[in-house]
Amino acid sequence: MSRLQWTLEAAKIAAAAIRANTARGALTTLGIIIGIVAVVTTMTAANGLANSFKESVSALGSDVLYVSRMPWIITGNFFEFRNRPNLSLRESEKLKRQLPRALAVNPTSATRRDLKYRSETLENIVVIGTTEQHMLVSTSVPESGRFISASDVQSKRPVCVIGSTIRERLFEGRDPLNAKLKIGRTTFRVVGVMEKQGSAGFFGGPDFDSQVFVPVTTFIKAYGGSNRNFNFAVKAPPGEKLGDFEFEVIGEMRKIHQLRPGEKDDFAINKMDSLLHMFNNVMGVLLLIGMVITGISLFVGGIGVMNIMFVSVTERTREIGIRKAIGAKRRAILTQFLFESCAICLIGGAIGVGLSFAVSALINRFLLPASVSLPIVAVALGVSILVGVLSGFIPALRASRLNPVEALRYE
Amino acid sequence: MTVDIREVVRTYAMNGVEVQALRGVSLTVEASEYVAIMGPSGSGKSTLMNLIGCLDVPTSGSYFLDGRDVSQLGEDELAEIRNTKIGFVFQTFNLIPRADVFHNVELPLIYRGLSPAKRREQVRAAIESVGLADRAKHRPAELSGGQRQRAAIARALVTRPSIILADEPTGNLDTVTGTEIMTLFDELHDDGHTIILVTHEDEVARHSNRVIRLRDGLIEADSAHREAA
Repeated sequence: MSRLQWTLEAAKIAAAAIRANTARGALTTLGIIIGIVAVVTTMTAANGLANSFKESVSALGSDVLYVSRMPWIITGNFFEFRNRPNLSLRESEKLKRQLPRALAVNPTSATRRDLKYRSETLENIVVIGTTEQHMLVSTSVPESGRFISASDVQSKRPVCVIGSTIRERLFEGRDPLNAKLKIGRTTFRVVGVMEKQGSAGFFGGPDFDSQVFVPVTTFIKAYGGSNRNFNFAVKAPPGEKLGDFEFEVIGEMRKIHQLRPGEKDDFAINKMDSLLHMFNNVMGVLLLIGMVITGISLFVGGIGVMNIMFVSVTERTREIGIRKAIGAKRRAILTQFLFESCAICLIGGAIGVGLSFAVSALINRFLLPASVSLPIVAVALGVSILVGVLSGFIPALRASRLNPVEALRYE
Repeated sequence: MTVDIREVVRTYAMNGVEVQALRGVSLTVEASEYVAIMGPSGSGKSTLMNLIGCLDVPTSGSYFLDGRDVSQLGEDELAEIRNTKIGFVFQTFNLIPRADVFHNVELPLIYRGLSPAKRREQVRAAIESVGLADRAKHRPAELSGGQRQRAAIARALVTRPSIILADEPTGNLDTVTGTEIMTLFDELHDDGHTIILVTHEDEVARHSNRVIRLRDGLIEADSAHREAA
């Protein structure tokens, strides 16, 4: 008989054994179900978190360098950064002249102001002064209306473009275009609404949908500009390695700041990659912790299976004796019980995966975009079988090693 | 010679004390013999049966089964010998309760590794030969004691073994059914099967052609060798 046929026979024997004790099997399975739901949900949620983070930071652009006073992620001594000079609008113009190959150099500055529309007020909203170049460095586009234009910047027009969350909160379905919005003490006319970005806000990251863009010139006029700190978004020329271009930008910035060789940079170059890098590190640790915790619940489930397999072996000592007397080898007995524990775990795993779909649908609806992916399902089922083998092995080994004479005498 | 046992000793350690269950037993059984092994409890007849049935190996001495020395074999090799050469019939039937008659009888052939198609014919023939054809789909719990023992005999026959080894086969049956089962054994013997019975009932032993009496781990009498008596 082929290996396949023997496997079929062992599977049949295992199925009959499980059917003979459905209630006990179901209770044992429960432990595995809970474990698998925990594992799958953790992985799914982590995936969803990672995806939505990546989606929202992708607005920063993968070929854009952000020249700022501070690095986005500060490591080391904060006081070294504190005395750095602000970056000014004039320096941005200098940088643009010195980097003729750059596709865009966009200066931005930000402040927080209250937003007023009719009787509604939104407090402490991020207002960003920017230029028409913003469209070159960011992947986000207006969903209706237009973005700030070069002539808006030139003529210091009081116009603004709002994020999608602002539209939802202030206008509730009404058309916001041409509405008069009071930002701080200045009145702006809404000329566009940005498309939804998805938020990285739950990480303490920027919420790109709750921002308002205004021309940088109007921004300075309204909120003051002499001492304001700017960020420069510099888009690399096409085909240029970002790392190489970064050196060029650093060099030009050092010239602008008249730094001597050996002096430390008094500015920072930020990019999407470094954010992603940090996120991946944090996420990796979180995922590891999650896996350990959920792994424990799966482990407990596995202990339950092992326990029930020991009971099953003891209960069927006589049956094992009979099987041995009529010619079952140790391997045959071992396989039979391993199949039984694997079947229990696999059934639990399958039910667990099914429930996970429901749980992640809930998460998707109320927390963050999450969906169970095929690789996760494969991992979950694989893990179930592994738990089955691990928890069934010792009981099965014990069964296979029973002495046939003593097993037959067992009452 | 089917069974050839020479100077077999079997000792057990019980609570640290060594107990000699068999103290040097020699015995031969030819093909087609019908042998009854008798003796009071503690005489070593169960131990002898376990040895003949290759469920156990001797502490010393040798055992040739169909000319092959089986006294030094490992567990899996013994399992194979049991599967091919021995058909067990137990006092308590020892059927698997969850499985129907057909599957119970089929089991030795599954362990032998026969394909389902080849198994089917042999299983059907064995069940028919014990007169249980109409009960093949029944579980042991749905059968009478006699029917259960018939199913067990079918299971023993299905592998066409060299020896049918029966341990008190009528011990759990009423007199009438017991007689029926013994008639079945007689028929099997008439068909040329080698049968070794272990019993303490003279009634049962009377069916055999040869009676071996054990006492205190030794053969006390063997009707094939009058001089031993």
